[in-house]
Amino acid sequence: MLSRVAENLYWMARYLERAENTARLINTTTDVLLDLPKGASFGWDILLKLVGLDELFEEHYREANESNILRFLIQDERNPSAIVSSIRRARENSRTFREILPKEFWERVNGLYLYVQGFASSAAQNRAQRYEVLNHIIERNQSLAGLLISCMSHDLVYEFIRLGRNIERADMTTRIADINAAVLLPRQGGALEPLQERLWMSVLKALSAYQMYRRHVDVHVRGHAVLNYLLLDPHFPRTVRHCLSEIEECLAMLPNHKEVMKVTRRTWRRLTGLRWEGLAPAVLHEYLDQVQTDLGAIHVAVSNQYFYFYMRQQQTTSTARVVNE
Amino acid sequence: MNISHDYRNSEAYDELLEPGGQPRSAARALFRYLNSLQPGELEARRQSVDAAIMTMGITFTVYSEAGNIDRAWPFDIIPRVMAKSEWMRIEEGLKQRLTALNLFINDLYNEQRIVKDGVFPLEVIAGSRNFRPQCLGIMPRFGVWAHVCGTDLVRDKDGTVYVLEDNLRVPSGVSYMLENRQLTKRLFPEFFQGCDILPVDDYPVQLYDALAALSPRDGERPVVAVLTPGIFNSAYFEHSYLAQQMGAFLVEGSDLMVDADDRVYMKTVSGPRRVDVIYRRIDDDFLDPEAFRPDSALGVPGLMRAWRNGKVGIANAPGSGVADDKVVYTYVPKIIRYYLDQDPIIPNVPSYLCMDEKERAYVLANLDKLVVKPANESGGYGMIIGPRASPEERAAFAELIRANPRNYMAQPTLSISTAPTLVGDCLAPRHLDLRPFILQSSRLYATTGGLTRVALKAGSLVVNSSQGGGSKDTWIVDTEDACYPA
Repeated sequence: MLSRVAENLYWMARYLERAENTARLINTTTDVLLDLPKGASFGWDILLKLVGLDELFEEHYREANESNILRFLIQDERNPSAIVSSIRRARENSRTFREILPKEFWERVNGLYLYVQGFASSAAQNRAQRYEVLNHIIERNQSLAGLLISCMSHDLVYEFIRLGRNIERADMTTRIADINAAVLLPRQGGALEPLQERLWMSVLKALSAYQMYRRHVDVHVRGHAVLNYLLLDPHFPRTVRHCLSEIEECLAMLPNHKEVMKVTRRTWRRLTGLRWEGLAPAVLHEYLDQVQTDLGAIHVAVSNQYFYFYMRQQQTTSTARVVNE
Repeated sequence: MNISHDYRNSEAYDELLEPGGQPRSAARALFRYLNSLQPGELEARRQSVDAAIMTMGITFTVYSEAGNIDRAWPFDIIPRVMAKSEWMRIEEGLKQRLTALNLFINDLYNEQRIVKDGVFPLEVIAGSRNFRPQCLGIMPRFGVWAHVCGTDLVRDKDGTVYVLEDNLRVPSGVSYMLENRQLTKRLFPEFFQGCDILPVDDYPVQLYDALAALSPRDGERPVVAVLTPGIFNSAYFEHSYLAQQMGAFLVEGSDLMVDADDRVYMKTVSGPRRVDVIYRRIDDDFLDPEAFRPDSALGVPGLMRAWRNGKVGIANAPGSGVADDKVVYTYVPKIIRYYLDQDPIIPNVPSYLCMDEKERAYVLANLDKLVVKPANESGGYGMIIGPRASPEERAAFAELIRANPRNYMAQPTLSISTAPTLVGDCLAPRHLDLRPFILQSSRLYATTGGLTRVALKAGSLVVNSSQGGGSKDTWIVDTEDACYPA
């Protein structure tokens, strides 16, 4: 398979997964906002930092308020990670391999693109419609993933899609898990415990993990247990650990995977070594950052091995390109 | 419905109907069938075929301010029909023409006998943009340069078929010819069953064989790649379609590299993989920045070197566009006589070269009847259609000709033929041409018929899909066949 095609497939999967998870992130945020008690506030600027878009946002907007940020995350094409941009890029990418994906895939990606074009602004501006539109985007994304799982050969083409999807998913899970860092609690307040429990519940719900958590972990929702679950549970498909094993499975199917596998193993070891109980929020945030950096290292290793292999041969001193944006 | 009764013939020759309104013998069975349909049924079938075009994803790309968009391919459901006996003669003429053109290109880049013998003037190639000095002294396999040729044919009022131009660089449209046949089979399955309409669908196999014969590694299954400028090219659909049909790789310039061993490799996830033959769908200018335009980002540095050293086959060979030139075109009858010692089977449209004093005088005296074209332009730039121009425009153009006679050639304004085309629920005459595709490699092959392009606007002569043109399926039928009783 051509490196260019592999790279396009990988990024197409990342873009789609990014759109879906951005929708999930916004849904959680909206949910959290509704639960905030009097005196508490939501740090919109912190949310931007969590998704790694604070600098880009500041280039284009003065004030980090709800309406600006939602427009930025949903429909602003100057933000390459906005839902609209991600889906447009996924669609552009999939045009170049209509001959290798099932025919319906292009039609559905195109349908999703048209839907998002039509409804993005109402989702950004109108809280009442937001939930519905975003859920619809999530649903359509899942239908795309389902089509590939059930209607195409699980060959190299498929493995690059799976690889992109899982790297992006793991990364977004760590960011969504961090969302409570944006909640600024009142200095004096009565019952913080029930509030925090509700906040963590929102995180689980955003990842469609609440029901599974209750079944496999606990009816009570406690911070460290949620984090442990979202990062280390081997069975739920959106946890970092599950994504890592998917990544390893993909790599095992790919040629010349030794280097990339080494990087993945290192991430794996570091992740399973972390302890989440009793952490101060700042340390917790640092831990999650560390996981994100490690996932970035896997991405760089994949790119160097499969996409930019030839460029490196030519210019051995240059540092590898990391993003496709 | 009675189609031949309702149809109003235009001034031009009609491909399907005689001047009296009776179907020509090759179209008789088709008309009997069309007349048996209930009113409204044609329109209903057209709608179902439009839906099929959407689901099959047959598109071409249109550039617009809103970005590049895929448009559904405009297709007219009424086929253009031609008798096998007439087609056989045309086919022979097309093969004759390409054989002579390839001998000519090979001669130009090597001995230049035709110039030394005084048949073809050297100054014509000196002024040709598509003559590539980088190709001098190269002898490709079989001596063949243009492996894929799309020749545009038109029919004049008296029924004579002429060659309008030869496309020897990157001719496109063959995928639509193939898809049109698929669509017609869906449309009129009951008709196809009983009749001898010659098939067209062996083209991808023939193309693959023609390309594979260029492989520098004999005896192994060659790796063939279709080189495309990318998704934004208007013919991207075709590039992807042909790659798919031939089981070839669809590559862009950045996917290829030439190593120190002069071999061409594809960059794959498993490492470099050697490429034997490249079917390139990009112009010479963008092929290799080392040899041609250094600012080109599309090309593959070193590709010319690899080709010159026989490490890769390229179709069409770089430099073959030299014969795709309006002044060279006027010499083709002489070229055929010179190399093959035969009379041309399909005539050229009579042309006048303004570099010739006598012919120039004729052109200047008859500007109101002629079409004058610049020699080295393509795409209809800088030309004048005499009968449609004002006296002032003609006077200004005459000055241009006098100032630079070598740059112009002229042709009479043809009245190109029409065929019935579905407009609403009625048939109306629309102008059309025919582009057959001819292959030459280890052997010669021509498509059965070709792509019929039709101007969908009434009276229009422009058949290009980007300007309101569409296409029709082209049937070559055996009139000796049982379903064509006299």
